[in-house]
Amino acid sequence: MTLSLAVPDILVARARTGDEEALEALYRAFEGPVYNLARRMLRNAEDAEDVLQDTFLEVVKSIRQYRGEGHLWGWIRQITVSKALMRIRREHVRAADELQDETTGKAGPAGAVGAGIDLERAFEDLSETSRAVVWLHDVEGYTHEEIAEQMGKTVSFSKSQLARAHARLRRKLGGEGSVNG
Amino acid sequence: MMHCTMEDLLALRAGEGSVWARKHSATCAECQAELDALYQRVAQLKAMPSLRPARDRWPAVREAVRADKRQQRRVMAGWGSLAAAAVLATLFVVQPLGNGAPTELAALDTIKQRSASIESRLTGSQLGNRVMSGWEAALAAELEDRIAVIDGQLETRTGTLAAPRSAEMDLWRRRVDLMEQLYTVRRAAYQGM
Repeated sequence: MTLSLAVPDILVARARTGDEEALEALYRAFEGPVYNLARRMLRNAEDAEDVLQDTFLEVVKSIRQYRGEGHLWGWIRQITVSKALMRIRREHVRAADELQDETTGKAGPAGAVGAGIDLERAFEDLSETSRAVVWLHDVEGYTHEEIAEQMGKTVSFSKSQLARAHARLRRKLGGEGSVNG
Repeated sequence: MMHCTMEDLLALRAGEGSVWARKHSATCAECQAELDALYQRVAQLKAMPSLRPARDRWPAVREAVRADKRQQRRVMAGWGSLAAAAVLATLFVVQPLGNGAPTELAALDTIKQRSASIESRLTGSQLGNRVMSGWEAALAAELEDRIAVIDGQLETRTGTLAAPRSAEMDLWRRRVDLMEQLYTVRRAAYQGM
């Protein structure tokens, strides 16, 4: 997901000093992207909210160490991915996967709404490991090497998870064709 | 007919497809359609709506921030107490080795001046040259011995600066007292002539 979340340097500087207003401003600026990323990786909304909270606790704790190298969102995203993967590894997620309690932000392209809903459901049915790999690779732009490192797995694992997930999505979406595997 | 696998299609999408996959997909309409579908699927994934949390988690984060600040203040207060204790220790232990409190110094100077004054009277006058009786001489000798002991203790104190200021004051008071007794004895001997 491409984001252009520009945060004034002065806000980051204030947040570094523990300024509560600045920290809340950072939270408000990034709560949506952080939650969305966590929610796409995890099947359960409450777990995603926990990741949101854990991520910002880490941000508050570590913002003094953030040196301003690279985009702030890149730093926060890395924390979010790490927290979400940790949660997947711990297998603390539950089976419930309803989305009805969630509010949605911007809608997708009008012509793709129907297909988007189908894809949403198909995506929800994927295992958490698969959806994490799909989301990180196809949406967030992570390489297989980066995913493998984050997950503590091999590059082959990441590639095979992605292939299996896409094959499943294709079947769920009623794709017919001659693709093997 | 052999078609591309999903791994082949994903590799083609990433520009890393094998020679065979590239050649095949270029000529196979079905595999080309699958590749197109893959591109569309990824585009749809990217276009999925942004989800937002149902609950506001900021209050919980804020409370953690405040708790952390309280903890930091407690730690700082702990260090502050230690620092204050160190300062007090400096005042009560180190400073007396040097200058001491002003009131204590003034009192000590006063008593030293008194001691010097009596000593000056003893040495500056003719009292010391007078012949004394035996008991007067013995008493004077004893007083002088006791003064010498105190002088020795005062000299020793100069090397051991950690002794309390009150002990030094006590020594000087005793010295002044003995000097006055000595002055009285010699004066009596002088007047008795």
